Amino acid sequence: MVTRRTVVKGSLAAPFAGATIMAAGLPGSVAAQDLTVIVGSKDFTEQFILGNMYIRVLEDMGITTEDSTNLGGTQIAQQALEAGEIHLYPEYTGTGLTEVLGLSVDDVLGGGGATPTAGAEASPAASTDPSQAVYDAVKAAYAEQFGLVWLERSPANNTQALAVKRAYSEENGVTTISQLAEVAGDLIISAPADFPEREDGLLGLQRVYAAGFADIEVLPVAPGLKYQALEDDQAQVVLAFGTDGQISGLDLVVLEDDLALWPPYNIAPVVRQEVLDAYPDVEARFNEVTASLTDEVLSDLNWRVDGDEKEDPADVAESYLTDNGFIGG
Amino acid sequence: MTSVWEFMRDNQDRFNGLLFSHIRLSATALVIAVLIYLPLGVAFSRMERIGSAAVGALSSLRVVPSLALVFIFVPWLGFGYRPALLALVLLAAPPIILNTFAGMRNVDPAVVEAAQGLGMNPAQVFTRVQLPLAFPVMLAGVRSASVEIVASATLASLIGVQTLGQYIFTGISLLDTTYLLAGGLPIVALVLVVEGLFGGIERITAPATR
Repeated sequence: MVTRRTVVKGSLAAPFAGATIMAAGLPGSVAAQDLTVIVGSKDFTEQFILGNMYIRVLEDMGITTEDSTNLGGTQIAQQALEAGEIHLYPEYTGTGLTEVLGLSVDDVLGGGGATPTAGAEASPAASTDPSQAVYDAVKAAYAEQFGLVWLERSPANNTQALAVKRAYSEENGVTTISQLAEVAGDLIISAPADFPEREDGLLGLQRVYAAGFADIEVLPVAPGLKYQALEDDQAQVVLAFGTDGQISGLDLVVLEDDLALWPPYNIAPVVRQEVLDAYPDVEARFNEVTASLTDEVLSDLNWRVDGDEKEDPADVAESYLTDNGFIGG
Repeated sequence: MTSVWEFMRDNQDRFNGLLFSHIRLSATALVIAVLIYLPLGVAFSRMERIGSAAVGALSSLRVVPSLALVFIFVPWLGFGYRPALLALVLLAAPPIILNTFAGMRNVDPAVVEAAQGLGMNPAQVFTRVQLPLAFPVMLAGVRSASVEIVASATLASLIGVQTLGQYIFTGISLLDTTYLLAGGLPIVALVLVVEGLFGGIERITAPATR
């Protein structure tokens, strides 16, 4: 594992050195081409995989990288990025909006899921797609406040979600939360203990979707056990995150949040401008990879690390990129 | 503090539901524990050697954190009321059994002999002499067990039972003191009520033993 990586790095370093010398004739390009790109990530599975994907793509382009993944939480990663201690890391639009910029989704969408009409007044220009609206808002604010660039966002949305077993979804024809709401009074939902009390939990579901959510039975469990309750048939619904590995591993169906209760958490690399100045092709290469990351793809990759196979995130990232022709071409 | 009262008032139905569920779980666990452990403690006190060994082994149960105990039965019993009840009952074993054992063993043998000398049969010696003399110590065991049960019932919210733990875990995840106090203060109050109750029992029964 370690040796293979070293060999890869070494083989890339040789042609790269030549490129630097050749580029030396062009004024101003030497310093830029020498930039070692430091890739960061936060401290959980999906972030490890994404960080390693960025590293592999950069190396495939002949760019020297430094692995600074597993930094900690959002605040630490953001501070490191602002200070230039890392050059990029994967971030979620909803997290950037609420935790970094200190805004609420209502600021962007205007009023939230319950009152879509208020949004039209507050920001008439805003996109009707919440994912795009939040992405646009975050991208603009980061550029203005920090001079940081959000590259293209993923289709994947790692937001809170309700998930059911595939068999349940098919037998009952339930694919959206609105459809679930009609029968929710007869169901049990497995969720962490704070779920019934939270506005972004049951209270929000009752406000936005109403119907049976007033009578749904909550099975409060430790966060790590919520899927087990579903597996054991002690609950029919689970409070999930959109790209949790268990969704793929246990063959669950994520119900569409058709009334947009939860803010979108699409993923994109947040990059310092100097990287894009030094290596303009990075943007297109990263966007290509990001565009391929759907909920299903990420859930599947997360499961390879979190499930029974316990694969190394770096191996998972590399095999995904190779299998899909993003590197090694 | 006022905001906590306001919160409880505004969410009265929900709060009452959690409080009732918390009390029901705790009380059921305590009743079962007393019914099992008091006789068990007495039995151990009458076994010459095995008794001490068994009680010693039981007291080692104390090092198992109640947080771990709560999860132990989930793989067999699933989530919900049963594994939570079983964990709480188990949690009460060391204080009740140990105190019952100690209370019975500490009855002065001379007093027992005197009672036998007065012509009491073994049943009379037990009910009229040993039990009344050991009772305050046994009661203290039940008392500390009940405090542990009421406090640990909070953790049942991690394995599928709605208790006041809901508010405490919400307070932790939102860093919201109102929720923490709305969950914590009633538990403190419950413990005080239980303490008062046992204090009362102790006062009522104490003169009879003299």
